[in-house]
Amino acid sequence: MLAFGDQGPRRGYTLGVLDAFKFRLNTLAIVLIPVCIAIDWAGHALATTLKLPLFLDSIGTVLGGLLAGPWVGGLAGLITNFISSGTVDPIAAPYCVISLAIGIAAGIGGYYGWHKTWPGRIALYVLIVLVASIGSTPLNINLYGGQSGVAFGDTVIYAPLVKAGWPTWLAAYLDELSGDLPDKLITVVVGILIFFGLPNRYRALFSVWRRSPAQAEPAPAS
Amino acid sequence: MAGGLSLYAEGHSLLHRAHPLTKGVLTLSAIALAFTAPSATWVAGVLAVLLVLVAFAGVIRRLLAVAVAILLPITVLLFVVQGFANASNRTVVFGLGPIVYYREGLAFAAFAALRIACLVCATFLFSFTTRPADISEALMQRGLSPRMGYVLQSALQIIPQTLEMAGRIQDAQRARGLETEGSLRRRARAYLPLMLPLVLSSLVATQERAMALEVRGFGLPVKRIARYAFRDTTPQHVLRWALALAVPAAIVARVVGWR
Amino acid sequence: MSGPALVFEGASYAYEEAARESVSDVSLTVDAGEWVGVTGPTNSGKSTLCLLAMGLAPHFFGGRLRGKVTVLGRQTETVSVIERSSEVGLLFQNPFTQVSGARERVDEEVAFGPECHGVPSEDVAARVEEAMTLVGIAHLACRHPLDLSGGQLQRLALAGLLAMRPKLLLLDEPTSQLDPAGTSAIFEVLGGLHGRGTTIVMVEHRLETLSELCARVVVMAGGRVLADGAPGDVFNREAVQQRAGMPVFARLAREAALPGPLPVTLNAAVAAFARNGFG
Repeated sequence: MLAFGDQGPRRGYTLGVLDAFKFRLNTLAIVLIPVCIAIDWAGHALATTLKLPLFLDSIGTVLGGLLAGPWVGGLAGLITNFISSGTVDPIAAPYCVISLAIGIAAGIGGYYGWHKTWPGRIALYVLIVLVASIGSTPLNINLYGGQSGVAFGDTVIYAPLVKAGWPTWLAAYLDELSGDLPDKLITVVVGILIFFGLPNRYRALFSVWRRSPAQAEPAPAS
Repeated sequence: MAGGLSLYAEGHSLLHRAHPLTKGVLTLSAIALAFTAPSATWVAGVLAVLLVLVAFAGVIRRLLAVAVAILLPITVLLFVVQGFANASNRTVVFGLGPIVYYREGLAFAAFAALRIACLVCATFLFSFTTRPADISEALMQRGLSPRMGYVLQSALQIIPQTLEMAGRIQDAQRARGLETEGSLRRRARAYLPLMLPLVLSSLVATQERAMALEVRGFGLPVKRIARYAFRDTTPQHVLRWALALAVPAAIVARVVGWR
Repeated sequence: MSGPALVFEGASYAYEEAARESVSDVSLTVDAGEWVGVTGPTNSGKSTLCLLAMGLAPHFFGGRLRGKVTVLGRQTETVSVIERSSEVGLLFQNPFTQVSGARERVDEEVAFGPECHGVPSEDVAARVEEAMTLVGIAHLACRHPLDLSGGQLQRLALAGLLAMRPKLLLLDEPTSQLDPAGTSAIFEVLGGLHGRGTTIVMVEHRLETLSELCARVVVMAGGRVLADGAPGDVFNREAVQQRAGMPVFARLAREAALPGPLPVTLNAAVAAFARNGFG
């Protein structure tokens, strides 16, 4: 399953996932996290300014994960959520664990290079949508009786389904999914486009893992 | 300046002067109690206590302004949807043509809305009375790694800076002919041309920043010296423990049959 | 502290994935208390020298180091950059990227370095006061760092380093992004530090400034040391003149066809012209 990327299959299935976490955060990674948090905020602010019907508040999280792995992605998502809960959107606070999980998912995908192949990109999108929707639904059920808080999903999907007798958890999940499918699609697409829009040296710079093949001996300067 | 992000409102109330940990425990336990309470009446009680504290802190007008703005949309949505489509709807209250509203759904909506109101007010009680600098300082005094403390402090400054830069990039791109109004497709097309330059300029300095930090010793594994002390009194200590124990007590009470 | 401040012995360094080395076979010794200027054309390896002395090469950049670089008695390979930071400081070109970004007041910003080192609070306050006074920004203590001009920010960055009381101060083109007022302010501070015994290694393009302030200039070209000596000697060598240029005073004297060695400072130029019947 993890062979979606360009790195080939890793030894074992479960053990392989943990490989992505085995890197200590160096100073560059520490400096990258606040930048990713700011990109999360700016991505959302821009979506609001352009009046787009999406949240787009995880682009920095996804980008951080792709660039530097699950620690950076996860922390960026978590802290973005903390800061916005404390300032403009306290209702988002319980969802901090979802933001954390999205960052981790993007980080694992980044480590295995999923964003570099088409099957990998789809896998990354599917993983993030699943994490977001499956994670958010129980929270929605507890907080809002199953609504997602988004007017479209609540009125067009949740209400009619519950009225028609569908189980609440299923109506809630589909409601949440109706918001996550487009939002996370654009998030992942924009995240990957930005990743490849960055100069090469940035991508090499932030990757906490070094995979350069053995180099030829450098020539003297002159 | 970092102040652009923070909700902190200057004041001298007991809450303003309390240790951030006390306020943190207060906020978290209030939220936990609100979500453990068995009925709307109990939740309303928690909310009332919170509002009294908010008034006591002298920030009630500002807090209510912000809180109502946040709570109104979700409350309306809850009433509109739950009243109509809750699974346990039985008793009709009123009808608008084919759309019929039931008491159970509306009661649930009220219950949910009150709990969310507690969440918002408890969080804001903390935010309005605590300086952001104090939050990271208190966390680091309690063991948060200085590098993580740096991440928090840096984020609080860099977010407003980046939002400002986003505005400037927007102006620049619009001057170059980028369309940011009109149909959804046109607006959506503007997203990437606005995001990419923003991300690039945000990332450009990171290598230099990281070098400059290391040159100053950032990340040295030394025991961190507190920059300043917080006023922590015995009553606060007792209060923290009482609140922290109240939460599992409430959970147990619910299990045993608190209605 | 005995012994030289900085010793390169046959040092060669190549960045990660680079086809060529940035510096090759560099050997030079800087004694304690010297103020050495380093200059040369672009890509001559001057900045890399600073990065090597600080330890950023190889610790931060990876890459491959051959030969020995010994700073204050310890080899750079065995000492991390953050360990070094208590006795060596490096001031970069860009005033805006050296601010920590985590402090809201100038005095707190200066205190950042000492705090990272676990210096006790009373000492921190004393060092901050001392450093801010040295660079002349004590009057800005309560301001937000983002409100400062480029020149003020560069002085703030320098104060941040001086709060650690470094024995060796490295500067990589510290004034290239500053206006004339900001520039002279920095050099004034450096003069004061030199007077107090701090060893200074400064990469600088302005040959007039180097010749005026530094008793010794190292000229780099193509990653190697081209010349190393007093400015008056170094800038009279043809190889140096061809590859690194010469101070404007020397150029003037050459155009005026003055006999004797070309002067490299203003005073020397005035004297040379006076000797030859001008003014």
